[in-house]
Amino acid sequence: MRVDWRLPALLAASAGALLWAVPFAWMAVAAMRPGVPSDIASLTPPGPFGPGNFQEAWHSGSFPLWYLNTFVVCGGILAVQLVTVSAAGYVFARLTFPGRDCLFGMFLLQLLLVPPLLIVPNLATLVSLHLYDTLLGIMAPYFASAFGTFLMRQTFRSIPRDYEEAAMLEGATVPALIRHVLVPLARPGLAAFAIVSVTAHWNEFLWPLMAVSSSSNQVLTVGLASFASGAEAGSAWGIVAAGTFLVAGPLILLFLVFQRRFVASLVFSGIK
Amino acid sequence: MEPITRRAALGAALALPAAAALAGTARAAAPTEIDLFFPVPVQGMLANKMRELIDRFNNEHPDLKVTAVYTGSYDDTNLKTRAAIKAGRPPGAVIMSANFVREYVINEDADAFDPLIEKDGKTADAFMDQFWPALKPNAVIARRVYGIPFQNSTPLLYYNVSAFTEAGLDPDHPPVTWADWIAAARALTKTEGGQTTRWGLMFPATYDYCGWIVSGLTMSNGGQYFNHDYGGEVYYNAPSTLGALTLLDKLVNRLKVTPSGVSDANACTLAFFAGHTAMMVLSTGSLSFVRENMKTPYRVAFMPKNVRNAAPIGGASLILPKGNSPERQAAAWTLISWLTSPEIAGEWSRFTGYFAPRKAAYDLPEMKDYLQQHPDAKVALDQLQYAVPWFDTYNTVAVRKAIEDQVQAILSGKTTPADAVMTAQKNADELLRPYVEETALKRLA
Amino acid sequence: MLAPALLFLAAFTYWPLLHVLGDSLTVGRFVGQHAFGLDNYRRLFVDPHFGRAAWNNAVYAAGTIVPSLFLALLFALALRDTTRLTTVLRTLVAMPLMIPLVAAAALFSFILLPGEGLLDFYLAKLGLPMINWLGDTDLALGSIIAITVWKNAGYYMLFFLAGLAAVPPELLDAATIDGAGAWRRFRNITLPMLGPTFAFVVPMAILNALTQVDHVVTMTQGGPADATNLLLYYIYQQAAQNYDVGLASSATVISVATLLALSLISFRLLERGIYYES
Repeated sequence: MRVDWRLPALLAASAGALLWAVPFAWMAVAAMRPGVPSDIASLTPPGPFGPGNFQEAWHSGSFPLWYLNTFVVCGGILAVQLVTVSAAGYVFARLTFPGRDCLFGMFLLQLLLVPPLLIVPNLATLVSLHLYDTLLGIMAPYFASAFGTFLMRQTFRSIPRDYEEAAMLEGATVPALIRHVLVPLARPGLAAFAIVSVTAHWNEFLWPLMAVSSSSNQVLTVGLASFASGAEAGSAWGIVAAGTFLVAGPLILLFLVFQRRFVASLVFSGIK
Repeated sequence: MEPITRRAALGAALALPAAAALAGTARAAAPTEIDLFFPVPVQGMLANKMRELIDRFNNEHPDLKVTAVYTGSYDDTNLKTRAAIKAGRPPGAVIMSANFVREYVINEDADAFDPLIEKDGKTADAFMDQFWPALKPNAVIARRVYGIPFQNSTPLLYYNVSAFTEAGLDPDHPPVTWADWIAAARALTKTEGGQTTRWGLMFPATYDYCGWIVSGLTMSNGGQYFNHDYGGEVYYNAPSTLGALTLLDKLVNRLKVTPSGVSDANACTLAFFAGHTAMMVLSTGSLSFVRENMKTPYRVAFMPKNVRNAAPIGGASLILPKGNSPERQAAAWTLISWLTSPEIAGEWSRFTGYFAPRKAAYDLPEMKDYLQQHPDAKVALDQLQYAVPWFDTYNTVAVRKAIEDQVQAILSGKTTPADAVMTAQKNADELLRPYVEETALKRLA
Repeated sequence: MLAPALLFLAAFTYWPLLHVLGDSLTVGRFVGQHAFGLDNYRRLFVDPHFGRAAWNNAVYAAGTIVPSLFLALLFALALRDTTRLTTVLRTLVAMPLMIPLVAAAALFSFILLPGEGLLDFYLAKLGLPMINWLGDTDLALGSIIAITVWKNAGYYMLFFLAGLAAVPPELLDAATIDGAGAWRRFRNITLPMLGPTFAFVVPMAILNALTQVDHVVTMTQGGPADATNLLLYYIYQQAAQNYDVGLASSATVISVATLLALSLISFRLLERGIYYES
């Protein structure tokens, strides 16, 4: 007798998915319960509910500042990355020169050597460039993206050469060529890369923690960490939940709305 | 067409904030500007109060502009301050965990206050006499003043009154000796069907808290725990320390009146509020927090003793990081004098639950009223006569962790007190070696 | 053309690599003299914290990579058909990837609180005793592993979903007609065709296992008693807390070398696997 696995599998997956959602469920519920109720762990409390925790969290943290800093950092990184990866991607996709493959391999090395891993020397570099404790210092190690270069290389390769040849016949220079011909055609790839890049850097913690010390330069993740941990007194968990929501909320909401785009980007950038 | 304009616009839009972020710290200012790094427990309350105090200071001193920068926990504040000093941008003043001051002196990262004190017309000794004596060893190092105490705490025994009466204990007579303590904990622990519904005692054993409590227990056991005048010696492998660790082992592993594993302060307070633990050891710095959230009657008492009463000082002092110009130092001194004046020290103390390091603060009428209304604060103050200095050595954090790791292992049943003290001593000695070889064991010609 | 990219790479990838290598071989004394030697490595290998961190990281890697890939694959298989329900379920499982690890840490700090936290709260209703998930030296690493699996499984699931979608349905139909059961179909058709997906996801999981320590930094600080010390956390501690550049650098060199070796090996193995099947 053939067993149809589909229904049991679906049931199991549903149970699993619900389990997976529990932390978020708690976050939503606890954030809406002001004060320090004794059963703050309950997922099904009777109430009362109110926005008090969000107000508290907003005032005791510096969320507007953290949001601004995070936007600047993610936006700044992306802006420069778009330029460097387009240029580098073009070079690896279209040009041939001795040592190209070797150089490309070295580029890929960056995929592994993430800035937090090389904290000690990277901080020293920042200090000598007078970039310690600046937003620019957070952004700098990410300006060149091997990941993006790789992606652009693949994307450009899949674009037929006809367009470029036509443009070159009309006397276009290489930079203009990239800007006006290739980049518009590579939109999907660039969009995918943008999504991955912003998500990754929005959620980055260890490097911004080390690179910045003054509170005026902190990003959301670092702000949240200091917000959620206490020194000597206990925590009001409802406020912690509200604060966490303020940090994680934007990306989650974007994810829910633009799901298909997100998933497509993440997967597209992964599949060779 | 589209991509260029969009990118250009993006670039332009980002250049401004980026430039502002870069230029932000290099403001030319008519009033002298300094920043103050400060650590406090979060959830708004204390951080906002500090900012409010600083606003008041700025209003009263129009020629100065202080920016209060919240820098997280004591450990985080230490990291950030050292990083800032190394990067050549030291803050004007820092509220630094009192037991880190010695290290700043050893590493030559802090300036002494003596010249500034003398300029005000006092001697350093007379100045420091304004503070409780137990605070001196952490603040006066090599005969010079490096830390001005700002907020201080000691551990306190909080206990649930109804739990006491229910267990047949007298709430007016909390445990005084370790023997009393153990007996009380046993009576207070409730089990139902093999599970503990109420613990006799809980205490935080996370990094920093753990070492603090253990130092107190060791000194209550008659020991020194570390060399108070020389940062190169610790006495982990000593009978007094062994006795303290044996007490913990007994409470957790043999009598099971304390939950096993490491509990953090949050777990302790939540359990205390919910009636799941009858007693807890917690800082006096949490007095206000507990007062606000504990709905059933509770009281506080001295930490029990075995050989003598001893309560280790915790808290923070203001320091002068190295690398500040004389103008910045003068501005910092004005701020520090203001912050540690009896009025402000008293106000901060009443708001937070920390006790005021400045003796004169307790002569003020507001303080006297406050102590009348809040007997728990009075107990904390009374315990001060038994205060002992906070653990500070060369490489304090690592040396502190050497014993904390062992204690945490004991709490999880992974090692015995005898093994623990030996391992801790060995590891600590290895960490202290570089300093010792440059000082006590220096190769003399 | 390549100049800008190369410049940044040089500054923040290649130069640091050389720098850290140099630092690891520089033996400074307490006051600050410099000599060259292997003493930092000697100190590193003698340091019980490093040994513990390395061991923990190995356990952590195995504990996160295998379960998260396994769960990711299971979820992907169960949710491979696109319907309203499966889309919702997929979203629930994948959501953790959008939040920072420190946010997950903040949530789990509460969930794992002994006695009063979510997990113990509901376990108590089942009659189980209070368990100190993060404070017990036996359980702490497992808790950290669980958080990582929760965070990453959904992410890997997305890749498996894409990989599964690339399996031609005709092949599966043909196999069904031939009488092959679900397991047979999976093992002989689906699994081999997921080769490229594995080749991508496994190195990523290895990378994550060595570079994601945000939760250790904010929740346990390597404790209790070194139970959750990981290589990158050890490096962070030596660099940021103890200012021991020599130890931090030598630990970095070892970690980077390990990462490179593991990535290379896993890549080669998986490539060979793909070749063989296709």
